Amino acid sequence: MPVHNGVEALRATLETLRARSEAITVFLVDDGSEPPIEPKDLPSASDAFRIVLARHVVNLGQGAALETARQLALRDETKYAAYVTMDADGQHRAADALALARAIEEGADVAFGNRFLGDSNVPRARRAVLFLARWFERAITGLRLADAHNGLRAFGRSALERVRIRQNRMAHATEIKLLVRGLRIVEVPVSVRYTKETLARGQRNAGAALILRDLMLQYLFGDSK
Amino acid sequence: MTIAAFLLLALVAGLVIYDWATLRGKNRRALVVEIAVFVAGAVFIVFPDRATALAHVVGIGRGVDFLLYPTVIWLVRESLLSRRYRIENAERLTEVVRELAIARASHVK
Repeated sequence: MPVHNGVEALRATLETLRARSEAITVFLVDDGSEPPIEPKDLPSASDAFRIVLARHVVNLGQGAALETARQLALRDETKYAAYVTMDADGQHRAADALALARAIEEGADVAFGNRFLGDSNVPRARRAVLFLARWFERAITGLRLADAHNGLRAFGRSALERVRIRQNRMAHATEIKLLVRGLRIVEVPVSVRYTKETLARGQRNAGAALILRDLMLQYLFGDSK
Repeated sequence: MTIAAFLLLALVAGLVIYDWATLRGKNRRALVVEIAVFVAGAVFIVFPDRATALAHVVGIGRGVDFLLYPTVIWLVRESLLSRRYRIENAERLTEVVRELAIARASHVK
């Protein structure tokens, strides 16, 4: 789980996870928040609920934070049944995160949340941008998915090992789809709640142009390893 | 000398003076290269026929094209190389920040 500022929403999101009966470990990456997120800002651990907190000393972007969380999870001594990514700003529900994890336990390699099948209140402008993003991703990845750039996703262990994210900012969502081609992929209905706060803090519609630019720069100049 | 040539010479001189002043106390060796290039440019500004004569020698019609073609090629290459260096440096910074984050990661009690 990547986080940049917004400690109140983060705490509320973590509390909903802590309230679940399933065993959950959160690999929380503070992506250069000011002030830094401290352990005292977070819910306490329990038998079934653990938090591993890491901090980027400078802000790198959501993709970079997800990659740090991925590497933390892979280095953890526990081999988890599923690895879920979700936002820390309150848009995503714990129940949906666990539904994605169940899809992995039932045999999928990758599960993507589909906000259009769930009870989501997607604003009209965002809906239009996502429509275009969906077709763009279909064109370059060949994956016929009904949602695009949804931060709720889950991976099995082998899929997670494969998904090394190089896109530091928001283009990671498209990059992930490029990396999981050929795996068993399912879409799971999820509910994404947009509020004034989440829209103010989240990705701007105009960010689509930056995503295209980042993908092009990665293609032209990026690390080819 | 035309008004355009005079203005261009003033611009060249202004840039050299500004760079010389702002690099006070720093390594000014690169500035020597800049001045040499600018002096050559100034010669072609004051005597444009010299550039045209040189252009004709290599089969280019106008003196300005003789200077412009290699300049554009060099600038495009320099721009692409700079972009690559910036991206490689950003990737290195990301790795350093990430390794530091992972090394300092801790379990919340």
